Amino acid sequence: MSSHLIDFALLEQAVRKLPGDALHPVRANALAAFGQSEFPDQRQEDWKYTNLAPAAKLSNAWLRKRTTAIEAHAVSALLQEQIDQIVAKIPARWVVIANGLVETRSLHKLAAQQPAGLTVRSAAESAHLPTVVAGDVMSRFNAALIRDVLHIEVSANPENDKPIGILIIDDASDEASVTQTRIVIELEERAHASFIELHATAGDNQQFANCVCNMRLAGGAKARYVRIQERGLQHYQVGRLTAQLERNSELKHAAFDLGGALIRNDIDIAIREPGAAVELLGLYLASGRQHIDNHTRIDHCVGPATSREEYRGILNDRARCVFNGKAIVHAGADGTDARQSNHNLLLSDRAEIDTKPELEIYADDVKCSHGATVGQLDPKALFYLRSRGLNQSEAARALTRAFAETIVERTPVAEVRPYIQAIVDRKLQSLIDGEFA
Amino acid sequence: MLEIRDLHVRIGSTDILTGLTLTVNAGEVHAIMGPNGSGKSTLAQVIAGHEDYQVTGGSVTFLGRNLLELEPEERARLGLFLGFQYPVEIPGVNNAYLLKAALNARRKERGQAEIDAFEFLQLAREKMTLLDMDPALLNRSVNEGFSGGEKKRNEILQMAVLEPVLAILDETDSGLDIDALKAVSKGVNAMRHPDRAIILVTHYQRLLGYVEPDYVHVLSKGQIVRSGDKSLAIQLEDMGYDWIREAAAG
Repeated sequence: MSSHLIDFALLEQAVRKLPGDALHPVRANALAAFGQSEFPDQRQEDWKYTNLAPAAKLSNAWLRKRTTAIEAHAVSALLQEQIDQIVAKIPARWVVIANGLVETRSLHKLAAQQPAGLTVRSAAESAHLPTVVAGDVMSRFNAALIRDVLHIEVSANPENDKPIGILIIDDASDEASVTQTRIVIELEERAHASFIELHATAGDNQQFANCVCNMRLAGGAKARYVRIQERGLQHYQVGRLTAQLERNSELKHAAFDLGGALIRNDIDIAIREPGAAVELLGLYLASGRQHIDNHTRIDHCVGPATSREEYRGILNDRARCVFNGKAIVHAGADGTDARQSNHNLLLSDRAEIDTKPELEIYADDVKCSHGATVGQLDPKALFYLRSRGLNQSEAARALTRAFAETIVERTPVAEVRPYIQAIVDRKLQSLIDGEFA
Repeated sequence: MLEIRDLHVRIGSTDILTGLTLTVNAGEVHAIMGPNGSGKSTLAQVIAGHEDYQVTGGSVTFLGRNLLELEPEERARLGLFLGFQYPVEIPGVNNAYLLKAALNARRKERGQAEIDAFEFLQLAREKMTLLDMDPALLNRSVNEGFSGGEKKRNEILQMAVLEPVLAILDETDSGLDIDALKAVSKGVNAMRHPDRAIILVTHYQRLLGYVEPDYVHVLSKGQIVRSGDKSLAIQLEDMGYDWIREAAAG
């Protein structure tokens, strides 16, 4: 067994205390696999800029308290109130995952609406268990401690239906929390669906959330997916989205990271069959000592297929962000058209961005491009706006908003765009107040 | 209204203005002419508050206030307007948004309420008609992809909407074809008012055929070396700037 930042003996004990439900074999397998894998470490190329040690330390402390039993954490009245407030802001069919458990009230409410072609289940309440993928070390950690799985199947293409909202909220009101969230989404042939995955925090104690979403798009299926992360500033998070794209399927994804202390997102797309199209958009806004790391990987296994990726970031204070976008065009994937860009605006000279677009091409007939920029607010534009009567803060707000707008206006789920615009505006204002107030 | 006394300005280690004195009163139109590098644009930028320029001596008062102590936005709110020689393209910032924000900043300074959306649109359209501007430019990003003529017209549009007390137009005529020059001149002439002063900074006499100045000043090596009425501009056109340089040296 390799050396771990996670205390494996503690983890093993905790896993053994979890109930002997249908997920038990999944946990046992994942635990064994986790024991054989290296925990993320800055000596590994993929983790060069992001140090997960604080999250491991928090996990160990949390595990130490749970060597006797792991109770299900009930949703408190206060948490319920907060959940109700959040879901009221965005029109969607909401299902809530609180502290790693699919909240049954929201699940039943959704089921009672009987939306056509949509099946939403939790592992706790259903005999039908989806495959729980655990190919990488953090997915294994997730699966080893898993309590529940949210399983969404879409079989139809309902016209003008509301998006499916997934609220992931963890309660750290009383003590630090460590949670594993797992979502499995399957779109059957020619099914269409829109999703909003919203990450929120309750309470002021430290949190570590490890969220995994595995998605499969069958032939001709179309998914639009927006992930919004506005966790508290005591929050550590590791998130992974995997998606398998079959013939002529399409995934449009947008990721908004505004909160959190230490955030690492991985997106892993595999284009398995010809005709697929992927769009990945991202916006990260970081201040203080926030650390936000986005890694994406698109495997063009076959062609023709297209991928478009654009991530943008605005950083202030001592924020540190990482962008690593990898597109791999495998041998024989002719007709691949892959474009990728990453643009960054640094409002402070102490902020830091490490950006690395990567292309690996093993096919001949391909169109690929990538590019990255890092800059400051244009002093000429600032002076021009000020000469028209806007103060520094107003001028900076206009320029940063314009920079972010490029992503916000392309948010693939229209219902959530006003909400995103509002939280982006609020975060930009706080970034600017920190610099020009 | 504007009182500049013995103004010395440098950028980096180069002295650009070396003792410039100028008085502008309400209702007057002044033309400041001079060869390239004489300090014309520096003067315009310093009055607007560009921070790259270092004032090393002299004073500038505007409406009785020490202008040099004010931030660029404070100057604008008091009623100072600079029409840029090179208007800046600002992708993603809506032209109407800027125009409205600028107008409201000025109105706030004067204790007026914010303009309502309908009234603003009417005002903007009216001024655009005067300048023969495509109304679609209002909903584009500020100056982005505008032709040279559209950019200059956009500057005049801003001036027309903001109704400044003092407008400084820096090389507004450069790069304009005859139609654009006529439209811009019409816009400037419409702004002439007993309560307002206009300073035209220009290299050529061409604009002055359309906008008749009350005073013409010739700038050379950072100082005003000669002042006169509009006939001075005609003289310059005939004899060139060398004549002034020689006269100044002699």
